Amino acid sequence: MTLEWVHPGILLILGAWLLPFLKGRLKRTAMLVLPAAALVDCLLMMPGTYGVASFLGQELVFGRVDSLSLVFSYVFSLMALLGMVYSLHVEDDCQHVTALTYAGGALGVTFAGDLLSLYVFWELMAISSSLLVLLRREPSAMAAGFRYLLVHVFGGLILLAGIVLYWSETGSLAFGEMGASSGGLAWAMILAAFLLNAAVPPLGAWLPDAYPEATVTGAVFMTAFTTKSAVYALIRGYPGAEILVWVGALMAVYGVVYAVLENDARRLLAYHIISQVGYMVCGVGIGTALATNGATAHAFAHILYKALLFMGAGAVLQMTGVRKLSEMGGLYKTMPVTLGLYMIGAFAISAVPLFSGFVSKSMVVSAAGEAHQGLIFLMLTLASAGTFLHTGLKLPYFMFFGTDSGRRAQEPPTNMLVAMGLAAAACVLIGVFPGLLYAHLPFPVDYVPYTMQHVTSTLGMLGFTALGFFLLLKHLDPEPAMSLDTDWFYRRGSVGFVRLVQKPLVRLEYGFVAEIYEFVIQRPVLAVAKLLRKFDSTVIDTGIVSVGHSTQNLGQVLKTTASGHTQHYGLIMAAGILALVALIALVS
Amino acid sequence: MTAYPVLTVTTFLPLVGAALILLFGGERLARWIALATTLGTLAVSAPLYLHFDKTSSTLQFVESRDWIPSLNIAYALGVDGISLLFIFLATLLSILCVSASWTAVQTRVGEFYAALLVAETAMIGLFAASNLLLFFIFWELILVPLFLLIGVWGGPERVYAAVKFLIFTLAGSVLMLVGIIVLYITLGTLDFKAMAQAAENLQPVHQAWLFAAFLAAFAVKVPMFPVHTWLPNAHTEAPTAGSVILAGILLKMGAYGFLRVSIPVLPDAVELFLPAMLVISAVAIVYGAYVTLVQTDVKRLIAYSSVSHMGFVTLGIFTLNQSGVEGAILQMINHGIISAALFLCIGMIYERTHTREIKDYGGVAKTAPVYSTLLALFCLAAAGVPGLNSFVGEFLIIGGAFQTQVWLGAMAIWGVALGTAYLIWLYYRVVMGELNSGLEGLRLELNAREVATLAPLALLAVCLGLYPECVLSYLRAPVTELLAAGVIP
Repeated sequence: MTLEWVHPGILLILGAWLLPFLKGRLKRTAMLVLPAAALVDCLLMMPGTYGVASFLGQELVFGRVDSLSLVFSYVFSLMALLGMVYSLHVEDDCQHVTALTYAGGALGVTFAGDLLSLYVFWELMAISSSLLVLLRREPSAMAAGFRYLLVHVFGGLILLAGIVLYWSETGSLAFGEMGASSGGLAWAMILAAFLLNAAVPPLGAWLPDAYPEATVTGAVFMTAFTTKSAVYALIRGYPGAEILVWVGALMAVYGVVYAVLENDARRLLAYHIISQVGYMVCGVGIGTALATNGATAHAFAHILYKALLFMGAGAVLQMTGVRKLSEMGGLYKTMPVTLGLYMIGAFAISAVPLFSGFVSKSMVVSAAGEAHQGLIFLMLTLASAGTFLHTGLKLPYFMFFGTDSGRRAQEPPTNMLVAMGLAAAACVLIGVFPGLLYAHLPFPVDYVPYTMQHVTSTLGMLGFTALGFFLLLKHLDPEPAMSLDTDWFYRRGSVGFVRLVQKPLVRLEYGFVAEIYEFVIQRPVLAVAKLLRKFDSTVIDTGIVSVGHSTQNLGQVLKTTASGHTQHYGLIMAAGILALVALIALVS
Repeated sequence: MTAYPVLTVTTFLPLVGAALILLFGGERLARWIALATTLGTLAVSAPLYLHFDKTSSTLQFVESRDWIPSLNIAYALGVDGISLLFIFLATLLSILCVSASWTAVQTRVGEFYAALLVAETAMIGLFAASNLLLFFIFWELILVPLFLLIGVWGGPERVYAAVKFLIFTLAGSVLMLVGIIVLYITLGTLDFKAMAQAAENLQPVHQAWLFAAFLAAFAVKVPMFPVHTWLPNAHTEAPTAGSVILAGILLKMGAYGFLRVSIPVLPDAVELFLPAMLVISAVAIVYGAYVTLVQTDVKRLIAYSSVSHMGFVTLGIFTLNQSGVEGAILQMINHGIISAALFLCIGMIYERTHTREIKDYGGVAKTAPVYSTLLALFCLAAAGVPGLNSFVGEFLIIGGAFQTQVWLGAMAIWGVALGTAYLIWLYYRVVMGELNSGLEGLRLELNAREVATLAPLALLAVCLGLYPECVLSYLRAPVTELLAAGVIP
């Protein structure tokens, strides 16, 4: 039998179960071969429809291969490979199996041609990614992991409800543009579920809540798959949906504001995912060929440089055991390679020319300009400046330079550096030869990123941001102890608006998931549940038991009439006959 | 066909086993006889599955003998796709009950297994019966062994639970008996198919009263809100095998009754009662889920979850469309598998810890990884995770509910959400975190017998999740016929 088509996702999911049975070098080989095989599988794939199965009288399509699914499958399987390289040194089968399953789920979503198989892989991703948080096995990770799981299970249910509703409205489970029931309940529910996974605020608070709690290697996987598969689903289902333009632009700004305020390295980067996904969501909403291409290209580039940044931050976390920026400082002396690779990611995300972010992000921004969305254009540009401020300047400055914390952490294990090197190479490659990426986008590209005007304006903006940062920094430097608290900017009173908004904002945001979870869901649900339990045991049960008791009591009373005296019985019988006669007389 | 009357032999073989046990006593022997009998029953029922024609909706393996000729009542057995599945479930769960009680039951062992085998006969007979009188006899027969199982081998509150269980179910079945007599007098037959064909001779008013009479019996068994309060007591106090039979089969009898009697024979009344039944089902789903959420006793928690899950079943049945009814029957099988598995899991750990309070558990994963994995599988299955069996059933039911009325679908989804919450929370409190100090030093991990007991259920949960067609293909023909003959909502 020749296999016409092998599902790369299922290859990963099933293959992952080999790992616990292998040892030593063989296991490490398998860890690399599996995602590599998936990558090759995707690269060799020809467009078409494969893996059609019948289930419940509906046609399930596991392999819808076209230009859009292909480009996402390339980056997902490439990312799986990089992630596995990065976690080669980890001696925890659970983590590897879960991570590969998670990547397989994302590939499954990418190739799903119908809503049901989409849902199946969607849930698989939810469960496996929450395991990546839980596997850190610390109390805070446990709590965050369970919140994460509940949020995603809830989102999955909304998706399921939307799918079932869509199915009963249209009689079809095909996953295409959801225009058929535009504005309807099914349309809205499926959109809400996608937006939840895309981490749109306020639905997206799970992201900064959970990602910093994940294992060092797990976080690298998590940055790649959940939000970006949601972006893919949005491109597939909701191109040109007006609401997404505004949602996306707000996300871009929102993520940046919180990232600027953040002190935990990985949490900062997590906020920043929200901002970057905002660009993609915005691109989907604009819906022109250029914008859709931009969203796709940006997702592709973003996965690589974000993973690189998380790898860098994770490497520092692993080597120092410290999470807060204010406790790092001075690591450039002992971790120069990590610094260098991290900076490539930082330049890429800040859209510096010759790095990948420049050639992808600008597509979305230009599309906004072309579509005459002036305000959107402005918001995206503003967010872009903020990006450079925190990821390109603030984070590396405090992590690697800044006030020396006295830590002398070593470079991370070689495999981590290799993974970072590969990701960095990809970022530069795409930045220098954008044609490589553009050739695979869903629509033909006639966009030229490297124009004189574009390059100079970008450099100008970046330059001024950098200047502002260092001027501010110099002014603020005298305090030697780079303090421990979350809100460095706030306590220095450095930025005016921060003073006003930060405290309530941060409190709201930090507590958001936990408090939403507690006040909006947990408490009312438990209160209702306790009330109903009481109702159940006091009203219903007592009512029913008392029927039994009253029957018993009635029996006790009636027992007394059975006196044993024949005269009494005769009397009762006579009365009965009399009553009967009277009744018959009345009726007739 | 086959060389022997398959249904009769399958039905009464357990009774023979029970007689052997009572004759030859002996604890060890009783166990082995019970195991051999239940395995033998599964073996002799094999022709049912090998020679069954899925495309036909007529009864198969029909056996008919004159029984009470003066009343024109026959001893008549026969199965269609629906009853066949339940017979399979009953024979399988009986084997697992024997295995699960191997060390857990130490007093009056012979009588225990005899009662268990009598219950098996009653379960199989009920689903094999093709007339209402025989159905009723088996319906009542099962009360005897279950009353004993709960009342003799149960927990500390066993007498209260057993009496409550008996009074509830008897109160229901008395009314059913009245209904059966009325049906017999008006229609002159008690054969299911013949009754369905003669249904038009029944006045709508009579139908309404009859429906109410049968509802009393069926609703208690399902159990539907608000007559569910016997269930938590009975489940909680029953020994593991009793809980498994209760959750796995007994609850399905009521829903099966709706499919066999109420819908085909009383179509006008179904139309009349339809809105009420849908509302009660939706209330049961959400109400049951809420009450489940705050239970502190593991067994009680699973018991209440059955109220919610059986709400899905009745909801599916009364959507009266193909998707909903097929989903409902599939979900009965699924619930039979999963709730049985969950009760087995709880029973196994109870045998070691002797506590059912959730707060006495915690961190079980640390010492019992296999147990934790299996429990996770069953919890996920119960929560309706795709790829496992409940998902398909719930999907079909919710699909059917959305086709009927959107708010019903919404209630069902809310029920699923709460269901996921209580299951994950249960799992979190029992299995995750640090090992509870009270559990230190206990050997919590399962032994080979226990793993073998759970394995078939785990296998079924996965197989039915990936390939539900193996159940649904049995249902298509009978459900189509049921809906074609009955009312259109």
